[in-house]
Amino acid sequence: MSIDEQPNAPEPEQPGANPDFNAPVPPPVRGGGRNPLALVVVGVMAAAMLYFGFHMARRAGSDAPHLAGKSSVAPDFTLESLDGKNMRLSDLRGKAVLLNFWATWCGPCKIETPWLVELQKQYGSQGLQVVGIAMDDSGKDDIEKFAKDMGVNYPVLLGKEAVGDAYGGVPALPESFFIGRNGKIVDRIIGLKGRGEIEDAIKKALDTEAGATPTSTASATVQPQK
Amino acid sequence: MLLRPHASLCVLVLIAAGCFAQAGKAPSVSMIPVGPVTAQRTKQTIVDLDFRVASGFHINSNAPKSEFLIPTSLKMDPPTDIVLGRVQYPAGKDLSFPFSPDEKLNVYSGDFTIKVAVHPLRSVVPGKYAVRGTLRYQACDNAQCFPPKTLPVNFDVKIVKEPSQGHRNPAQSPHVHN
Repeated sequence: MSIDEQPNAPEPEQPGANPDFNAPVPPPVRGGGRNPLALVVVGVMAAAMLYFGFHMARRAGSDAPHLAGKSSVAPDFTLESLDGKNMRLSDLRGKAVLLNFWATWCGPCKIETPWLVELQKQYGSQGLQVVGIAMDDSGKDDIEKFAKDMGVNYPVLLGKEAVGDAYGGVPALPESFFIGRNGKIVDRIIGLKGRGEIEDAIKKALDTEAGATPTSTASATVQPQK
Repeated sequence: MLLRPHASLCVLVLIAAGCFAQAGKAPSVSMIPVGPVTAQRTKQTIVDLDFRVASGFHINSNAPKSEFLIPTSLKMDPPTDIVLGRVQYPAGKDLSFPFSPDEKLNVYSGDFTIKVAVHPLRSVVPGKYAVRGTLRYQACDNAQCFPPKTLPVNFDVKIVKEPSQGHRNPAQSPHVHN
């Protein structure tokens, strides 16, 4: 039973009964004013709103600042590859691109990499280009060794924070973006998922038409720092 | 049974906080504050540094099994004339994860303790000193990994004088008693 529902709750003392005449007298508490059930309902609603509000904010935040999510144009960038050449994403227009953010210290990435190697072999002739972006702080040598050990058959670029930011911050790895032939993002996979899920997203990207060059890439263009 | 209204609200706030924690999925390692440490000059005192890895996450141990994995490491910056001895890391647990079922990783999860030996030199003026440092770790959950992070580590140590030594050769009575 709620304390407010006690039928014999003592009445507040009258001023005359209080030995300290100057002490403030608390207002009488009315038991019928608060319905515990209503409070619980309000509380549950508040918690639900907080939860969903947070979820929405997080989703929006993860896509910020440039990336609006699926169907938006993939932010363009130029990054150095392991062989020392610069590679620009927009040069791959007309191909379906699997942009895979990874790192040598990422265990799940190690599982995913052989799948990407196989998928590049399988769908390369249909126009798929896997591109790895290594987000390591460690040197190029470690990345090169990892890529060699894993038999990577696609370009690996040396990641920059600015590129990660353009793609929503990439807070955890692996994270893959599937870009259609028209340069638009058609799907995104965060964390390690099944090979089948990656393959489905690749097919989605391959199914797109190479449209006209999008014009909204300028603000999202990231150049490597000199 | 009905709870008091404000108690119900507190429970709901806790539930909401739990939802936040789950939704945020922020990997965290926290340090449990170190109690008072008293170290005697010229003697070695072992200090236990207790850490907690948030539920659902793990971090590599100090000796992970792959050269590419980032080991958990403690780096301390003690005040002058307080020497820190070798850092003793706990053994990690060999666990396999859904992302690596055939390979066991050596990790810390839940609570773990790193021991540090504090050795104040004779030249240290007795008093309270702050020892600062960082714990570098790299956390993962079952499907994704998070970039390496550093956690500030600090504890205070009270340095006291070594007890005065008794006279090895107490003064002898000049008188010879036969």
